[in-house]
Amino acid sequence: MVEAVLLVLREILEAAMIISLLLALSRQLNQNHRWILIAVMIGLLGSWLLGHYAYAIAESLDGQGQELLNASLYLAVVLSAMLLSLHIIPLSIAVWKNRLPDAAQGYVQHSLYGLFIVTVSCSVAREGSEIWIYLSGFIHQPAVLESALIGGAIGAGIGMSLGAIAYYLFVFMPRKYFLPLCLVMVTLVMGGLAMQVAKQLMQIGWLDSTAPLWDSSFVVSEQSWLGQLLYALLGYDASPDATQIIFYLVAILPTLMGILWHATRLKESHYVQR
Amino acid sequence: MTLLRMNNRRNVCLLWLCALLTCASARGEVPIFTLEIRDHLFYPSTLVVPARTKVKLIVINRDTTPEEFESYELNREKVIMGGAKATIFIGPLAPGDYPFFGEFNPKTAQGVIRVED
Repeated sequence: MVEAVLLVLREILEAAMIISLLLALSRQLNQNHRWILIAVMIGLLGSWLLGHYAYAIAESLDGQGQELLNASLYLAVVLSAMLLSLHIIPLSIAVWKNRLPDAAQGYVQHSLYGLFIVTVSCSVAREGSEIWIYLSGFIHQPAVLESALIGGAIGAGIGMSLGAIAYYLFVFMPRKYFLPLCLVMVTLVMGGLAMQVAKQLMQIGWLDSTAPLWDSSFVVSEQSWLGQLLYALLGYDASPDATQIIFYLVAILPTLMGILWHATRLKESHYVQR
Repeated sequence: MTLLRMNNRRNVCLLWLCALLTCASARGEVPIFTLEIRDHLFYPSTLVVPARTKVKLIVINRDTTPEEFESYELNREKVIMGGAKATIFIGPLAPGDYPFFGEFNPKTAQGVIRVED
């Protein structure tokens, strides 16, 4: 049962954290919450389909189907998180200059909902499918199935509670601090997922693995609870190789450029005002 | 100028061709190793593979239940459905022991990839 608790918690934590962050963002920007229903529904349906057809998916494309599908789902989240971060930069600046009410109007509305839905539904689909596959293994052993289901429910409960706590922490945070924090978190999650894309492609031999650039397992081991938490939240990898780091940097580059661009424009406008 | 550019383009094409050929030849030489899952155990539980070589690992799940091959040290994770066969590329690796386990049955399903010169 403990195994089921941990497995489900690990899978659910990443999605729960993404959901809390984006829900808090939409709350902080005075958007409505209806998108979450659509996103979670698509995500759950997707996760069930991925779980149900897991065998066929794994066998497809010369046995590379699972990795290619996972890589696509990760990539979809990376791209939408990238666009999202580019939206958040000017909003963060605007709120520091006390200009958000004007900037937020009409600027955020439609595009943001689409990005929220893609991010959440793809995360839920991928994380959820593994839970369905895990539970499907017990279907012919009713006694074990029961304890796995109870364990799974406990794990899901803990994950969602942590998500709820994070949500309230984010919502009660002043907008001035929340937006930059949200930008940092979105960027870190995006980088972590980009490394996952690289990992999937290395697993099927499309990309070559190289020696790890460093090994930080003496600081935080991936087996430790902190390592697992960091892995679930930010895609922590104790010994990434060069390919993964390149993917990480390429993913966060547009956001860094965006910050730089807005910062220089801000500086210029200061000079003009003087 | 145009001649130079055309030459350049041809060189680039040649380079790509060479890269493709080396990729293709490298792919053909990848040694293959097989692991089996039976009753939530890995057989063999210790698999010796050559150092500094890309290796193709085939994991056959003889159980009816799904399993997830996972290894922090190898940086790999893959779901293998009941009765299915999975391919996982690992390496090139430095000599040493790289533990792996089945995430769905972590207590029993454990093994080590031993990389030797």
